[in-house]
Amino acid sequence: MITVSGLTKHYGKRLAVHDMSFDIAAGRVTGFVGPNGAGKSTTMRMMVGLTRPDSGEVRYHGTRYTELKNPARVVGSVLDARCMHPGRTARNHLRAAAALSGLPAQRAEEVLAEVGLETAAGQRAGGFSLGMRQRLALAGALLGNPEVLLLDEPSNGLDPDGIRWLRTYLSDFAQRGGTVFVSSHLIGELSMFADDLVVVGGGRLLAAESVESITARSETTVTVETPQPAELAAVLASQGVRASVSGNRLVLRGTSKAVVSQLAYDSGIRLVELTENSPSLEDSLLDLTRASTEFAAA
Amino acid sequence: MTSTTVAIPSTATRASTKQLATRSTADDLKALPGVLKSEWIKISSLRANKAILGLTAVVGGFVAWAVATLVTDEVQTISEVFIFSTVLTAVFASVAGVLLFSSEAQHGTLATALTAQSARWVIVAAKTTMAIAFGLVLGAAGMVASFGGALLGGLELGSTSMMVTTTLWGLLFTALSAVLGLGIGMIVRHSSGAISTLLVWGLVVENLLTLFLSERISRFLPFVAGNNLLGIEGEGAFAESAATALTRAQDALVFGGYTAVALAVGTILLYRRDTN
Repeated sequence: MITVSGLTKHYGKRLAVHDMSFDIAAGRVTGFVGPNGAGKSTTMRMMVGLTRPDSGEVRYHGTRYTELKNPARVVGSVLDARCMHPGRTARNHLRAAAALSGLPAQRAEEVLAEVGLETAAGQRAGGFSLGMRQRLALAGALLGNPEVLLLDEPSNGLDPDGIRWLRTYLSDFAQRGGTVFVSSHLIGELSMFADDLVVVGGGRLLAAESVESITARSETTVTVETPQPAELAAVLASQGVRASVSGNRLVLRGTSKAVVSQLAYDSGIRLVELTENSPSLEDSLLDLTRASTEFAAA
Repeated sequence: MTSTTVAIPSTATRASTKQLATRSTADDLKALPGVLKSEWIKISSLRANKAILGLTAVVGGFVAWAVATLVTDEVQTISEVFIFSTVLTAVFASVAGVLLFSSEAQHGTLATALTAQSARWVIVAAKTTMAIAFGLVLGAAGMVASFGGALLGGLELGSTSMMVTTTLWGLLFTALSAVLGLGIGMIVRHSSGAISTLLVWGLVVENLLTLFLSERISRFLPFVAGNNLLGIEGEGAFAESAATALTRAQDALVFGGYTAVALAVGTILLYRRDTN
């Protein structure tokens, strides 16, 4: 298990991360989400010792990252898929990384095959597409056969087949008991395989719960179209149902279409459309982070 | 908002009681061979370093041949001329030293190295060792090529009594130049910035300073001291009167001192700076 306790980081006067604390469980995929500038990358860099926090710490099974005997065998991380010399071949890139951690050179060939880059092993990284770089970076993270994977936006640049491969790989990794902590802007993609979410905004922790729990934070809405909007709104109001009316359409909160249908029938009100809208994870997250979004479209 | 702990299933409960082995200084020392191997792979897998080696040999051979062929107003011998190009070899070695670190910082592989090896002094030790080794290789290549160039230029061998000593001092100069480049690269963390700093200082600033400063002071400038290791006699920025000249050992201490300071400052910054 990974325990993040009270992480805080300032850059000059700007507070990048403030008192962030959460646990990441083994055997599960934990998504790390938040708007741009929320502090995700800074937090992940602090988790692998690249950035020194002003206060707080991160422990892997009770041990700080910088005190791990062989970090590569515990934590595999990809914080930037561009971290490779363009003049070096994929094979040499991985051989150098393997040697750094005291791993046999053969591991380079094994992980290249694991990520599907064996035919590109002799090519220089400068000629790789972004998707190939992502795969090569992931191969580097897998060299030590770690029990934890920390990935920052791993889907960037991957084609749909690659995204599906990554999703399956990470799910399998977690099911085998591994810990996966992955940040992503692709909420829809995360919702398909993440078990838990850590949501941050403005450098602060907003939520650390299961996906279901976060999704349930947003209300189900019912959309109704009727030629008698005023009558229906009055009937609903008498039952304590909130409605926002726009022409012949009403958007209702705190009710279900079964209830609305029954009320309309009992009151003799004709309905043209009746739709129940379940909250999506994206809606829930946007609601959660709205106040913390640093850069938003008008 | 207070932190919320995510629900932990039974498999993770077993994992949470596991305690991971912690690193000791002995582990850091044991890691050194692997880190050295990694640095060797990095240095030998890039065409740029092979290009620097090739350039050193070509320039060394050409300079010696040109001196042998074009300088006709004094009698030159191979044993005197073979060391001339080492002035340029030292420049190439310092550039190679800069790139050992700054290219890693620029391409992001430094972050990868630091996540794999938390003991940053091990990385510094390995890079310093590689810098010394590469500096020695460049020095040797330059001198061998110069020897050949002078031979091709038709020079006689001359007295060889000081050749071994001059060779050793020359190799020390190129090795220390590579380490100086490494230190500057660790401080500046930007290839062109570090290389410009070195070249401008070595080729322009020091030459200007020697015009204004007395020899008693200018002999302590880094590249004045370094180039004096080569024992090249003549006029210009490197000439010193007998009264003020430092011995080669003293020149080595001066140049080595600057190198050690650059490396020490670079190491301190490596520990203190965040790495993106």
